[in-house]
Amino acid sequence: MLRFTFGKIARTFSVLLGVSLLAFLIGHASGDPVLLIVRGDATEQQKAALRHSLGLDRPVLEQYLSYLEHAAQGDLGISYRQRVAVSSLIALRLPNSLELAGTAFAAAMSIGFALGVIAALNRGRLADHAIAGLSVIGQVVPGFWLGLILVLLFAVHWPLLPVSGFGDLRHLILPAATLALPTLGRMARLVRAGMLEVLSSDFIRTARAKGLTERQVLLHHATKNALLPLITQAGLELGDMVGSAFIVESVFAWPGIGRMTVNAVQQRDFLVVQGCVLVTAVGFVLINLLVDLLYAAIDPRVRVRT
Amino acid sequence: VRCAGRARLPALLVLAAALLQSGCGSRGERPIVIASVSDVSSLDPHLLDVNHPTGSVIWSLFDSLVRRGPDGADLPRLAQSWERRDDLTWRFHLRHDVRFQDGSPLTAADVKYSFDRMNQAPFNALQQLWAQTTLEEVRIVDDYTVELLTGKPSVTMLYWLEEAFVAPKAYYSAHDQAYLNTHPMGSGPYALKEWVPGDHVALTANAAYFNGAPAIKDVVFKVVPDLSARLNGLATGDIDLALELTPDTIAQANGPHSRGTEVLGLRKLHFGISQNSSLAALKDARVRQALNYAIDVPTMIRTLMHGSTTPLSSVVNPPNSDSTLTPYGYHPDRARELLAAAGYPNGFDLDMDFTPFWGQDKDVSETVAGYLQAVGIRPHLHADEWNDFRRKLSDASFSGLFYAGWAALINPAVELVIFTCHQEDNASGYCDPKYDELVHAASTEFDAAKRKALTDAAQSIVWDQAFWLFLWRAPLYAGLSDRLDYELRPDDYVEIYLARARH
Repeated sequence: MLRFTFGKIARTFSVLLGVSLLAFLIGHASGDPVLLIVRGDATEQQKAALRHSLGLDRPVLEQYLSYLEHAAQGDLGISYRQRVAVSSLIALRLPNSLELAGTAFAAAMSIGFALGVIAALNRGRLADHAIAGLSVIGQVVPGFWLGLILVLLFAVHWPLLPVSGFGDLRHLILPAATLALPTLGRMARLVRAGMLEVLSSDFIRTARAKGLTERQVLLHHATKNALLPLITQAGLELGDMVGSAFIVESVFAWPGIGRMTVNAVQQRDFLVVQGCVLVTAVGFVLINLLVDLLYAAIDPRVRVRT
Repeated sequence: VRCAGRARLPALLVLAAALLQSGCGSRGERPIVIASVSDVSSLDPHLLDVNHPTGSVIWSLFDSLVRRGPDGADLPRLAQSWERRDDLTWRFHLRHDVRFQDGSPLTAADVKYSFDRMNQAPFNALQQLWAQTTLEEVRIVDDYTVELLTGKPSVTMLYWLEEAFVAPKAYYSAHDQAYLNTHPMGSGPYALKEWVPGDHVALTANAAYFNGAPAIKDVVFKVVPDLSARLNGLATGDIDLALELTPDTIAQANGPHSRGTEVLGLRKLHFGISQNSSLAALKDARVRQALNYAIDVPTMIRTLMHGSTTPLSSVVNPPNSDSTLTPYGYHPDRARELLAAAGYPNGFDLDMDFTPFWGQDKDVSETVAGYLQAVGIRPHLHADEWNDFRRKLSDASFSGLFYAGWAALINPAVELVIFTCHQEDNASGYCDPKYDELVHAASTEFDAAKRKALTDAAQSIVWDQAFWLFLWRAPLYAGLSDRLDYELRPDDYVEIYLARARH
């Protein structure tokens, strides 16, 4: 297990190194940030002075190595646009994104799981079809459109919730719902399929034969086994949410890391882009590492195979 | 597990109660909310990059010596009066009653410190005061008098001073840049309450403002990037001033509690005509005139621009423009004749670049391409990525036409500079020594009548030689709630301290 863990961690680091290099190179290839900072009528000397003060006149490799060295110490550079430390910008936005993604994830997982179980128990009946319909809608409707429709319904037509922005619990509901629905749909389908498979297996029959109540059979035997494959899926879903958050945060003016990344890309503030990509990648890779280790801990067969 | 079933119901009730409570919160003294697409980039007055939103917030927190009126007039602000001692020396008399928000008095030393700071990197990449006015020295005469010494006579001094903000020397020299970006200290009508980057900037009225406290006490500049979210917020009353609406959505701003408003902006939309192109046709004035005669600008304004603007009739904005110039008008036959006379009876292949930045970019470009096609030209449209487009602007390396909006300016000396040889933002690459002579003479001529004659002559060259494919001035669209009275400025700045609450 120890060797397995170390191997996984080493691989994690190499992935991060690759991501940082890629983000750095793409950032540099995408254009000259000086041109986007200065006004159109700035003189060549003014541009050169700014380029020098930002350190952009050094060789690319030198810039990358010094970036890595500082990044390892938690210093992600200074935003070209806002002249504020990137790490402090991220520290300001990351909790907002975690709040949104965490709420959406928790809601999608719990509600998706519950709906999946209900659908499995009511196989072929109205509830099953209704849940299947909901989960299909959740998966096929694009996030930005769903967000707009939810706003029109629950903020404009029936002014129950705020249109957009950040603040109390009420601000969280619509963006979290928008972000949660696709995951919720997938989870419901997956749980339904898993439950149906488990419910038809021998140990369930044995449990029932032992004389356990249906509730005990479901909660103690069936769901536990149906949960296992969900761990992998949950890791993937969390990654998917990071991607969707870019759109949802823009639609709802949610000051998270996704919208900051989009803005930074538009403004060619590529130290911010790099920082955001790096932090997102760290999060994603850590989740994967956690899932791998968790899985290996639960199911010893995984360790042997790797 | 067993108690979970029982715990669930109370938990839900608590959640519902919390929701209802926050939903029924008092809406009494809500601040005025201004919604814009983007966030301010810095609260350092000398890192001001765009008129809105950064400029609007800086105008609220800080003061300049001179205020620019919505019509471009030079009005007193920190300076109560000024005079030119000779062609190279400006003298400004400061008000005696101005205090920064930390209570310290504003004196000539703060003015000198602020202007000198604008001449250092990184500030000098954004601030044009020194470069544009040939400013060489800021001299303190006494506590309330400063002199500005220039290398050449500068008719644009007041214009650039209107964007030069005064910060307290003691405070700004005592703190580091990272702190100053987020902790501004000015003398303006508002003070910073908080800045939550990416979400909002909250300001509160400066009760001790030298011009009297502003009518509206609390103001929030909110970032709402999505257009429909700004409209929705206006409809629900969460937003009082929804900026950056579009011609096709302005009608939606009219509701039971809100109304749409528009003003003719200063930005001039046009197609630049690259002179650095390998296409010789574009260097022929007859071809450029033909391009102008080929397109039906009034119809485009009616169909694409909600009828909110008028065709351009000069490269200079009113009231300084040459009023004898008139729009080209739609004369496709004239266009064909001119093309034939120039040696292109069968037209030519023409690249047209646009980028999503100035609004209706694609619609306008496609429509113009259609009109050009009708007179025999073969246009090829290219949708550029913004950074690519920006680079071509900077290198003046477009291969044909490019759709652009030229800055929100209201000063002929600054507006005409764009076509002078090797000027930084001369993206079309024109170079006509006769034109340069006129513009440079105008920029050092203090006699208003003589200056007008020079700028009129320069405008005629631009117009007759058809340096651009001229379109219209960009209208600005916004939505106002029934809580607010405010008149939009044509230059994008929001002077919220002049707004009034409606009752």
